[in-house]
Amino acid sequence: MIRKNALAAVALGATLAVGLSACGGGGPAKGKGPGGGQGQGAGFNAADKDWVNRSDKKGGTLKLVSSQDWDSPDPQNTYYAWSVNFARVYGRQLTTFKSAPGTAGLEVVPDLAESLGEVSPDGKTITYRLKPGLKFDDGSPITSKDVKYGIARMFDRQVLPNGPDYFVLFIDNGGKKFEGPYKDKELKNLTGIQTPDDRTIVFKLTQAFPDFDYLATFPQTTPVPQAKDTGAKYLEKIVASGPYKIDSYQPGKGMQLSRNPHWDPASDPNRKQLVDKIEVQVGLNQDDIDNRLLSGAAHIDVRAVGVGPAAQAKILANPQLKANADSTFTGRLWYFTLNEKIAPFDNIECRKAVQYATDKVALQTAFGGPIAGGDVATTMLPPSVAGYQKFDLYPTPGHKGDLAKAKQHLTACGQPNGFTTKISARADRPTEMRAAEALQQSLQKIGIQTSIKSFPSDRYFTNFAGSPAYVKKEKIGISFHGWHADWPTGFGFLQQLVDGRTIKAQGNTNVQETDDPKINALFDQVTKTKDTTAREKIYGQIDRLQMERASTVPYQYSKGLFYRNPQVANVYFNYAYGEYDYANLSLR
Amino acid sequence: MTAPLDVSGTESSARPEAVLQGAGRQAIEGRSLGQIAWARLRRDKVAITGGVVIVLLIVVAVLAPVITNVVGGPPDKFNEELIDPTFSSPKGSGIFAGVSWEHPLGVEPVNGRDVFSRILYGARISLLIGFLATLVSVVLGVFFGVVAGYFGGWVDTLISRIMDVFLAFPLLLFAIALVGVVPDEAFGLSGNGLRLAVLVFIIGFFSWPYIGRIIRGQTLSLREREFVDAARSLGARSPYILFRELLPNLVAPIIVYSTLLIPTNILFEAALSFLGVGIERPTATWGKMLEQAVPFYSVAPLFVVVPGLAIFITVLAFNLLGDGLRDALDPRGTR
Amino acid sequence: MVAYIVRRVIGAVLLLAITTMVTFGIFFLVPRLAGQTTDQIAAQYVGRDPSPEEITLTKRRLGLDDPLVVQYGRFVKGLVAGTDYSYGPNTEFCPPPCFGYSFKYQRAVWPDLVDRFPVTLSLAVGAAAIWLVAGVAIGVLSALRKGTVFDRAAMITALAGVSLPIFFTGLLTLAFIRPEGVVFVPFTENPPAWAGNLLLPWVTLAFLFAAGYARLTRATMLETVGEDYIRTARAKGLPERTVIGKHALRATMTPTLTMFGLDLGLLLGGAVLTESTYSLPGLGKYAVDAIRQNDLPQILGVTTLAAFFIVVANLVVDLLYAVVDPRVRLG
Repeated sequence: MIRKNALAAVALGATLAVGLSACGGGGPAKGKGPGGGQGQGAGFNAADKDWVNRSDKKGGTLKLVSSQDWDSPDPQNTYYAWSVNFARVYGRQLTTFKSAPGTAGLEVVPDLAESLGEVSPDGKTITYRLKPGLKFDDGSPITSKDVKYGIARMFDRQVLPNGPDYFVLFIDNGGKKFEGPYKDKELKNLTGIQTPDDRTIVFKLTQAFPDFDYLATFPQTTPVPQAKDTGAKYLEKIVASGPYKIDSYQPGKGMQLSRNPHWDPASDPNRKQLVDKIEVQVGLNQDDIDNRLLSGAAHIDVRAVGVGPAAQAKILANPQLKANADSTFTGRLWYFTLNEKIAPFDNIECRKAVQYATDKVALQTAFGGPIAGGDVATTMLPPSVAGYQKFDLYPTPGHKGDLAKAKQHLTACGQPNGFTTKISARADRPTEMRAAEALQQSLQKIGIQTSIKSFPSDRYFTNFAGSPAYVKKEKIGISFHGWHADWPTGFGFLQQLVDGRTIKAQGNTNVQETDDPKINALFDQVTKTKDTTAREKIYGQIDRLQMERASTVPYQYSKGLFYRNPQVANVYFNYAYGEYDYANLSLR
Repeated sequence: MTAPLDVSGTESSARPEAVLQGAGRQAIEGRSLGQIAWARLRRDKVAITGGVVIVLLIVVAVLAPVITNVVGGPPDKFNEELIDPTFSSPKGSGIFAGVSWEHPLGVEPVNGRDVFSRILYGARISLLIGFLATLVSVVLGVFFGVVAGYFGGWVDTLISRIMDVFLAFPLLLFAIALVGVVPDEAFGLSGNGLRLAVLVFIIGFFSWPYIGRIIRGQTLSLREREFVDAARSLGARSPYILFRELLPNLVAPIIVYSTLLIPTNILFEAALSFLGVGIERPTATWGKMLEQAVPFYSVAPLFVVVPGLAIFITVLAFNLLGDGLRDALDPRGTR
Repeated sequence: MVAYIVRRVIGAVLLLAITTMVTFGIFFLVPRLAGQTTDQIAAQYVGRDPSPEEITLTKRRLGLDDPLVVQYGRFVKGLVAGTDYSYGPNTEFCPPPCFGYSFKYQRAVWPDLVDRFPVTLSLAVGAAAIWLVAGVAIGVLSALRKGTVFDRAAMITALAGVSLPIFFTGLLTLAFIRPEGVVFVPFTENPPAWAGNLLLPWVTLAFLFAAGYARLTRATMLETVGEDYIRTARAKGLPERTVIGKHALRATMTPTLTMFGLDLGLLLGGAVLTESTYSLPGLGKYAVDAIRQNDLPQILGVTTLAAFFIVVANLVVDLLYAVVDPRVRLG
């Protein structure tokens, strides 16, 4: 019997040991105390205004983390904002955004090209000339043909479906259909892009397009040598043109990069090559990421969605940590739509009722409050986009809603006692789901009864909220929406959202189905206007017209609380991406 | 497949044949099985505790609107004034932040909904799904189990293979996919009523083979008994034998395994809710509350603990009662 | 014996075939039940802004308009004979077992599954070792002290273990023991970090399962102790240690191993809730993600693999039974 007691004791002891070592063993490094690095933090919001820790020190391994994998690291097959930003580390484009903090980063500057595009008088032909002596990571020269080939790749959307399709839409191939470089190996039908010599590339457009230099910043203009292209498998062996080359990429796990010896700093004022290696680890959970950032086991979260609630509490409560954090605009607008085609929102008065009834502060709280969530929004254009003008057509006290006014409009709409409708939101976005619940509460106060329908975000626009047929069939009056411009101008931001001609059967982002001739005409006017200031004025007009229609309810200019580990040097927040600029990061 | 299902497999496969063979024999001795079982059960304090907890839960769930009128308030009402806007968590410090006389179990982060009310209303959904889904699986399981066991031959082979196929499925994955595509209106139901019905049906439908296997085994052994032979030789037809002779003798295992299946089904619903499919917001269910607590587990741990404990206590109570019932109804039980 | 094995193996293969058929049928139907057209299904795999023309091409490439039988046939063909896949400039051969290519990522599914499997395997094996040892030890002790406080406490604890949802205990352990979360580090890379990270999920998962083993062991032990041969052994004057350790314990082995085999088979297909709670990139998490994305090849791959483990576990257990107990073969 004594023996059996001993056995029990052993068994229990083993369990305890198991429990204890679980606290200490393995896992991310920790214990360097708050900050994890040397020296003082640069101050709260410092990277929003200036370069933090500007330095020329070389060496070290930059450790980046993300909760999400790439959609694809293939430069022609990516669309995620952070991936577009990061693609500049291993690839160069015709143009890029200026390496500068805040709104200064919105300026487009030449990259592979010697200067910005040279536009013909009719605005339909744009010419770039490449800098001399550019090389791929294998030492072979980069020619304009490689840039052309890169763009050609994205015409085969069966092989590379993810990227934006602006080039496909704008390039004028004289009516012929170019089916991509895999079916048309000599690029015979791609007559809209010409390369008269190895340094010149000429784009022929179907219409004048003043924002073309912005399009040229997309990773789609990264050069790809045709001989090295393996289609959908190119992501396994990407030929680098930026300061770093990819040593390995494993889907779901991460990427290792090292210096590209053939990158010439003299030709590239926008990037640095200071650290020896860059490691990106993906698929971690947010709390793990935050703990690594705080401990110094990782330097920057490249996905840039901001820290989670736990780390937020820690950072805001500790001035030392707060000095390494930034709460700044991500360039994203959170809003919801009131579908103009679905009763009773086909009546503008009912839409106005919702404008007044919405307690925007409750929605802001749902997103994490003023620091992690953002500022209350009243316009479609966020402050970090060129053309933003401040106005509020539906002011309510403290943005908390005005029930009396809301009721007036409800009565004018012929629904004095309210009505019932449905709200759609994305199930796997907890903040959006909470915002939907908050809106439901707001609307209940004026008698609008709602039920919340949730859908997976992957298919939200292809099959549900972005499918007018589905929305109509299910009578979804209200849809939650969030938008980040593909490029930071009013055109890039607004056109996909409110131009009536962009309404489509699938993947529709003009969810409220605005089709206003006045707005559409203004978009046409933009493409004919050469003066930037004049264009920006038009964006403000469009914004106001849309708000007058009352079919979109912007409620938040998104902000995030971002943490930069104090070991990181040359870090600043670039508004073009709404993220830290990944092309210059290094270590102190 | 997943924990709750794994457990239900475990529970029923643990002693599949060790149960209740002598129901008929007991009856001959004069005291009915029910009387004997009740006498035994009464001595089992643990099982009785479980039973009492269940009764209390049912009462509380039924009276939820009355109780929350006094404490807690409406389950969907926002109390933003109790939330610290910077941290999105309840005002106050320590693990009991947000707890007060009006809100005895604290409030939800972000919107300040009363946790106590939501737990009470959540109990309605959990218990309702637990009971109804079990009813579905018992009806299906008993029907197919008895048919397979009684008729034998190819009928038995067919049904047994179907049950094998069921048990080889990753059922939770199917359930996620199927619950995810419920339309808004069907069979004259809509909204949460429809989702509830679908949940009940799916959970019940995926659990019937566990009962089916046991009932089949029981029927197989009962079929060879004298009293069945006697009935058959007296010219009784199959339906008569099935319903008048076999079924009464299967009551004991049905009760035991129903009691043990209810908690499994409650866990199943919680798991589905936790994975993001199930009843729509803002309706409170325990699994949904846990799902919503995930981002806040380190900021507002109470919001994890309370719904988790609610599930735990309920499931444990059913398991204790079911276990006691099994012992009480098992003639070989020696406790 | 050979005939029995052959019969059982054929049965298992058939069962697997039916399972894939039903799985295919259900997941083929799921989007259609939701009222989606093949256009809408295709639309989610052609980027953000698909033109009707691209959708038609995609539909054709993925074969979405083919009848159910044809699509299933393609799936089976890939599984047994492999299939060709064009990824742009060239075509590559995907050797069997080819579960096809993810609709969304255009990546072969099988390497993904192989990649995820170590996570699930580590989780299952570690937890299984803990619950087997702990469960059997507690069961034996309980049986030996039947009716004591220890016995009662152990059995109630066991029931409590069964009653705890893993997504609750998992969150609690994350909140109070390891707020930094767990990461999967491959065993081959760093064994201490591998074990250190997985300990928490192991213990949490084992707690859930150990209960069943404790109860089973206790019940079988109690039955065995009453049997003649144990009495004989005792009468012979064998030490109690030998009686329990050698004779009684051995009798509990068969049912315990049966249950163990089945549970392990179940877990190897993916511990959905455990992996979701701890964000471990195993097969279970893969399956949930695949379902959310409606990625048919991924779903089929992971569910077929899961069913395969369950069926094989059943088969192994049955065959072991047949070896141990010859009567089974006749039945």
